[in-house]
Amino acid sequence: MDKERIAGKLLSLSEKEGASQAEVFALTVKTSSVYIDDNIPKVADLKTEFGIGLKFVLGKQLGFTSSTLLSESPEDVVKRAKSVAHVSSEDPKFVSLPDPKVASGRMDRFFDKPTANAGSPELLEKVMMLVQAAAAKNVSVPNGVLRASSIDFAVHNSLGVRAGSMSTNVFGFFTAKAQDGGVVGEGVQRCWSRDLSKIDFPNLGNKLKSQAMSVLNATAFKENWTGIVAILAPSEGSEMVHQLVGSAASAENVNNRSSPWADKLGSQVAHKGLTVIDDGLSSAGLLSSVVDDEGVPTRKTTLIESGTLRSYIFDSYNAGVSGVSSTGNGLRRDPRDSLGRFSQPASCGVTTLEIPAGTKSLDEIIREVQKGVYIEHFAWPQVDPISGAFSNEARNACIIENGEITAQVKHCLLVGNMYESLTREVVASSDREVHDYCVIPTLAFSDLELVGQ
Amino acid sequence: MLDAMSSAIERFSARDVLFADIRHEVRSATRLAVVNSALRKFDRTNRAGTVARVLVGECWGQASTTQAVTASTLKELLSEALRMARAGARYSKKRIEISHAKPLTMSVQQKMKENPQTVSDEEKLSFLVELDRAQKVDDRVINTNSVYDESRFETRLANSAGSRLEWDEIRMRAMVQSVAREGSKVQFDYAVKDGLAGYELVRAIDVNNFAGECGRGAVDLLSAAKPPSGEMTVVTDGDIAGLIAHEVCGHASEADEVVKGRSFLTGLVGVRVASDGVTLVDDGTIEGLRGTVPFDTEGTPASRTEIIGRGEYKGYLHTLETSARMGVLPTGNGRAQDYNHRVFARMTNTYFDIGKWTDEEIIEDTKDGLYVIRPTSGMEDVVGGGVQCLALKGYIIENGELKTLVRGMALTGKVLDVLKTVDAVGDTLQFSGGTCGKGEEDYIPVSSGGPHMRARMVVGGG
Repeated sequence: MDKERIAGKLLSLSEKEGASQAEVFALTVKTSSVYIDDNIPKVADLKTEFGIGLKFVLGKQLGFTSSTLLSESPEDVVKRAKSVAHVSSEDPKFVSLPDPKVASGRMDRFFDKPTANAGSPELLEKVMMLVQAAAAKNVSVPNGVLRASSIDFAVHNSLGVRAGSMSTNVFGFFTAKAQDGGVVGEGVQRCWSRDLSKIDFPNLGNKLKSQAMSVLNATAFKENWTGIVAILAPSEGSEMVHQLVGSAASAENVNNRSSPWADKLGSQVAHKGLTVIDDGLSSAGLLSSVVDDEGVPTRKTTLIESGTLRSYIFDSYNAGVSGVSSTGNGLRRDPRDSLGRFSQPASCGVTTLEIPAGTKSLDEIIREVQKGVYIEHFAWPQVDPISGAFSNEARNACIIENGEITAQVKHCLLVGNMYESLTREVVASSDREVHDYCVIPTLAFSDLELVGQ
Repeated sequence: MLDAMSSAIERFSARDVLFADIRHEVRSATRLAVVNSALRKFDRTNRAGTVARVLVGECWGQASTTQAVTASTLKELLSEALRMARAGARYSKKRIEISHAKPLTMSVQQKMKENPQTVSDEEKLSFLVELDRAQKVDDRVINTNSVYDESRFETRLANSAGSRLEWDEIRMRAMVQSVAREGSKVQFDYAVKDGLAGYELVRAIDVNNFAGECGRGAVDLLSAAKPPSGEMTVVTDGDIAGLIAHEVCGHASEADEVVKGRSFLTGLVGVRVASDGVTLVDDGTIEGLRGTVPFDTEGTPASRTEIIGRGEYKGYLHTLETSARMGVLPTGNGRAQDYNHRVFARMTNTYFDIGKWTDEEIIEDTKDGLYVIRPTSGMEDVVGGGVQCLALKGYIIENGELKTLVRGMALTGKVLDVLKTVDAVGDTLQFSGGTCGKGEEDYIPVSSGGPHMRARMVVGGG
């Protein structure tokens, strides 16, 4: 479908139906994927989805609806949005949809045509390069997925916003299983990029294999250590940083008082060595676009500067509540998969969180640790963003004693509080990786607990 | 539409195609959220899409679209799926004959007492406002969240075995989350009620109990202690037992993980894996539970599968493909998130079955231990046989009595070791609904449950 034409039609119909303001988000996503099962391409697919999200405003009453327009007409959708708004109670905090502003560059600034055109043949070739590099007599690739997406959206609103952006995303997730008699080891690797050609698949396969092989030697950690340093690989640290900072710096959570950083602007919330930036125009970021999903130009916002909380992130609603301008953080899209994302209204979220690289290599950081652990892979890295508490099971980790790796371990819990960890020195490595919502280095946190079996 | 889909399948022929199906889905939902006494969200969504799958050798091709369903669109989807299946099949090592799929022609409409579509939006909003009010039990409750979610999934399916099916699934969900603050301490609690049901599920909620307890729970957690760390005796309530059931053995019993030898439970049918008191079941037919379905995504009727029976490993959860490969009947566990996602082996309602102890007897019989409640999330370890279960709170047990309240923690351990330490199983089942991902995505509605149980596990709390 022609998203511009549909967006224009829905906007016009909404105004005819009496909307005081209206906004249409029209999204086309094309995704090709290959799923690996036991070293072979088990499923190859092509998904094309078009959908719209319509915000219908009656004074201070807001309604939202969405549709693929497959089983209903634009007129049906507008009537439904109107009925939702009509029933809604007035939201006294609502100020306005965003005004038009000049976008931060050409709409295809973050679009890579070869990646957008990559279909199952190209993905098959890439993914089998990885499988061939990883597979060995005692190593297989039982699980994996590689997908490439083109994401093309338009935002029209009744205040004159006519904006949009095109981008591409590649995501891969692979596991390898190594077996030696009754002992098994699992390797896990992810890859993220906006450009398929930037991913070195044979190298990824080799890393996957060596990781799985190394876990064969891992033993269950049996002790309880306190006051240790934990070095987190970017894949793990990125999820924890995003969950915590993304939630605490969100103006939605600040305005509803659930953020521990409410009323903390200008206060020290982290160690003076830590700076965290939200960059909607990040050169490597997966959600980079010239406007956010409300049509507001994206930008770079320093959240924490040398440990001091400098700004929150704002979508247009929360910017109105706080009497400031949106920072271009009204988001619907997801770096992992944007299919179906038209079906929810924009909410306040990070674009790409960046932490500057430090000066030390991972090896140098390890050499400075007296007692600690290097975590390559958690079961799933999680933090309670309200209290900051975390307790994550390490599935692949290395024990560090007196600056050296002394053992490969698994099945132990790393325990701590991320708000407290941020206030102590955080050491960043000199190289950074893109993962999900973050571009960050390896990070070392101090004074944590490691609980063994 | 079903005629057009059947017709497209019948006309679709190629020598190398072993199986094909077309699915058309319409997914509609109404969601309301009240935050701090004000309506923050009121959404109505409607997503419709069509997906075709084709099997060649042992590889599937799949194509989906949100374009209008016409004979031409369906033909194109099947052709595209075939092209991709053939591309994958170049690497194929075998042929999978899905000859045991039975042709079914059925139309199933969900039974419920009160269709939520007949309830006014004003009444739904009023319910949420009441939930919001009831959370404010203390000045320290500084943020209240109340959510109402009603969804309807309509599916039409035609396949090359000759099936023509259509059915719907209507789910309801009410959720509250309270945040409490005192000085720099911030904690939250939550409560959820959900199921495959009509509006009667909402009417059965005692607002003051449901939301008031949540508010009090958040306030109480402000003074909760850090839990002890290390291996210890753990008593779980039914919700935590359910999470363990789901993560401990549920995922590793999904047969796609078994046919490729990834699961640590591969080859264990007939082997003792747990103490006598442990029986683990997946059952997609239990009335009213969130994971209940009339058919799985492939059109196989839901069924009850005993995974562990009195400590002995019994069997796996199957799709059409895995059952063909293992020479057994499909169990109705082939599920997909939606038309944009793959079908593979998934759970429905997974639970530990009951034993003979009362809940009180288990606590009274425990000299030192930790009583754990309120699950937040879990993560399976299909290869290594470990587990991670996160919980929001619990109580230290001293001499058979619940004492100090403790805050968030993780439970972990080696599954086969943990199950062999189960020495007390309660006599009352408790279920809670949720959303299950496999690996890191592909989310589907499920529920899990169990009775109170006692075992040895490793605990770490933050």
